[in-house]
Amino acid sequence: MHMADALLSPAVGMAMNVISITAIGVSAAKIKRNELSEKKIPIMGVAGALVFAGQMITFAIPATGSSGHIGGGILLAGLLGGIPAFLAMAAVLIVQCLFFADGGLLALGCNIFNLGVIPCLVVYPLIFKPLLQKSIGSRRLSIASIASVMIALGLGAFFVVLQTVASGITELPFGTFSALMLPIHLVIGLVEGIVTAAILCFVHKMRPEIMDSLQPGQPSKRLSGVSTKKVLAILAALTLLTGGFLSLFASANPDGLEWAIGKTTEKVFGAETELGASEDGIFEIAANVQKSTALLPDYTLPSDPDNPAGTSVSGIIGAMITCALAGAAGLIIFMVKFKKSRALKDSGSKNKEDQAQEAQTKEVQAHV
Amino acid sequence: MSDISARLHNLRALESLSMGRTVIHRVHPLAKLFSALIFIVCTASFGRYDFAALTPYLFYPFVMMALAELPYKLLLSRMLIALPFCLFAGLSNVIFDKAAAFTVVGVTISLGILSLMTILLKMYLCVMAALLLVATTPFTELTAQLRRLHVPAVFVMVFEITFRYISVLLEEVYAMTTAYKLRSGSKKALDMRHMGSFVGQLLLRGFDRAERVHAAMGCRGYSLKSIPPPRRQLRSSDVLMLAAVCLPALLLRFFMVGHLYMTG
Repeated sequence: MHMADALLSPAVGMAMNVISITAIGVSAAKIKRNELSEKKIPIMGVAGALVFAGQMITFAIPATGSSGHIGGGILLAGLLGGIPAFLAMAAVLIVQCLFFADGGLLALGCNIFNLGVIPCLVVYPLIFKPLLQKSIGSRRLSIASIASVMIALGLGAFFVVLQTVASGITELPFGTFSALMLPIHLVIGLVEGIVTAAILCFVHKMRPEIMDSLQPGQPSKRLSGVSTKKVLAILAALTLLTGGFLSLFASANPDGLEWAIGKTTEKVFGAETELGASEDGIFEIAANVQKSTALLPDYTLPSDPDNPAGTSVSGIIGAMITCALAGAAGLIIFMVKFKKSRALKDSGSKNKEDQAQEAQTKEVQAHV
Repeated sequence: MSDISARLHNLRALESLSMGRTVIHRVHPLAKLFSALIFIVCTASFGRYDFAALTPYLFYPFVMMALAELPYKLLLSRMLIALPFCLFAGLSNVIFDKAAAFTVVGVTISLGILSLMTILLKMYLCVMAALLLVATTPFTELTAQLRRLHVPAVFVMVFEITFRYISVLLEEVYAMTTAYKLRSGSKKALDMRHMGSFVGQLLLRGFDRAERVHAAMGCRGYSLKSIPPPRRQLRSSDVLMLAAVCLPALLLRFFMVGHLYMTG
C-alpha cells in the first residue's frame, strides 16, 4: 500500500522524509564500516529488483479464485539481513516513485518508513530473528516469516492510516479507516507470508550460505559499529520528537503552513500597513489586490460566509478558463515546435514522398 | 503476461525520452530536482477545498510537456497507477462530507465532491512533477547529482544496480512464466505451491549473475570510490528555469490567486 502525495500535508510528509533520510544515512554509514559487505552490494541490487519483478509474478490463491503477488521487506531481510535489506527496499521505493508513479516525492518518506523501516529495522530484529535464534529449520523459518510478514503489513497499514488522518485531507474517521485497512492487510499478509516462507525455505535448502546473517553467533560479528538497538532508539526518539512537535503545532494552529505564512507576512507587511496585532495582514492585502483585479466579480453568487469552500459559479468559470489557458499555452508551444521541425524536414521529406509514390506505382504495375 | 512486456516497454520509453535534447533536457538536474520538490510541496499545502486556487498550477505540466516534447499519452497512462488509493480516500470524502458547497444550474455540488476533485487534481500535479523530472533527466545524470549532493555512495550504487536489474529480471520472469505456462496446460497463473522454487530459482540465478558482473566490473577498476561525479556549474539559464517555476508556485500559494475570481 503506497501512500500518495495528494493525501499528505507537507508537514507530515516532510517529517517522515527527515526520519527516512536519517535512517538511510545511518544504515549506509553502518554498511560502509563493515568492509565485508561491499560484495553484498550487487546482491542487494538484484534482491531489490526482484521485489519489483516479483510484483509481476501473479499466482493463484487456492480456493479463492483471486490472485496475489509477493512484495517485500521481510523476504529481503531474511536474505540479506536487516540493514542491507532496508537500503535495497528504499532504492526500490525510489525507483517506483520516480519511474512508475507509485507513491510520490513528498510521500517517499512515508513509504520508506511504512514498507522499509518497519519490516527491516523493526519487525526483523524484534520478531523474525529471535524466532530463529536456536536453529533454522523449514518449520521455524515458515512460522517466523508468516508471523513477521503479517505483523509488518499490519503495522504498515496502521501507519498509512495514521499519516493520512494526521494530514487531514480525508474525512475518514480514524476508527473506520483502521477497521477497513487492517483486516485486508492481515489477510494479504497471511498469503504473502506463506509465499515468503516457501521462497526462504527453498533458498536455505539450495544455498544455506546466502542466509548466513541468520546464523546464531554471526550477527554480533557482522554488525560491528552502531548496534541495531541504537538505530532503533534514534528512530523512536526522532518519531516522538517530530510527532510531538507536529501535534503541538497542529493543535494550536489548525493549518501549520497557514500559520507560518501569517507569521512571516506579519513581519514583512505588518509594520508597513499598520494592521497592528492582526495575523491576517496578508489576507487584507490579498483582499485589496482581489478587489482591484478580480476577473469575474459580478458573477459571484451570494454565498454563505461560513462556507469553507467559498466557491461559486464564477469560481468554476474561472477554474475552467485557467485550465483552458494552461492547455492552450502548451498547445501553442507544441505547434510552434512542430512547425519548426516540419519546415526543416520539408525539403527532404518531399523527395522521399515522391520516391515512395513511384515505388508504389511500380509495385502495382508489377502485380498487374 | 503482456503486462510484463508492457512494463518493460514503459520503462524503456521513459528512459529514451530522457535522452532528448530540448531546452528542458539541457537544464541542470539540480535545478529540475529543486523546482519539482518546491512545486510538489506547494501543491500539497493547499487546503482540501482549494480546487479553483490550484488550477493555475496546471500551467507547469502543460508548458513543460510542450517544451520538452513529451507525449502526453505515455505520461497519462502512468497516472492510473496512483489512482486507486486516491480515489478510495477521495470517495470516502464524498460519502462523509455531504454539506452543499454551491449549486450550478440546479445541481448541488457537495463539499465532498469538491474535495474529491481537489485530491485528483493534486494527484495529477504531483505525479506529473515527478514524471517530468525523470522524463527529462537521464538516469546517469540523476545519480551523478545524488553523488554531488553527498548521498552515501553505497546507497546510490544500490539504487543504480536495482534500476538496471529490473529490466534484466523482468525479461527473465517473462521467459520463465512463458515456459511454465507452456508446460502446464492452460493455467492462467502460477500455482501457489510452485512459488517457492520459482522465485527462489530466479533469485539464485540473479545473485550468480550479479556476482559475475560485479567481479568483471571490479577487474576493470570499478569500485565504490572510483567514480568521482563530473562537476557541473549552475548556469544562468538553470537559475532562470528554477525561478520561473518556483516564484509563480510560491506566489500563487501565498496570495491564493485562484481566489481572485472567487470571492471578488
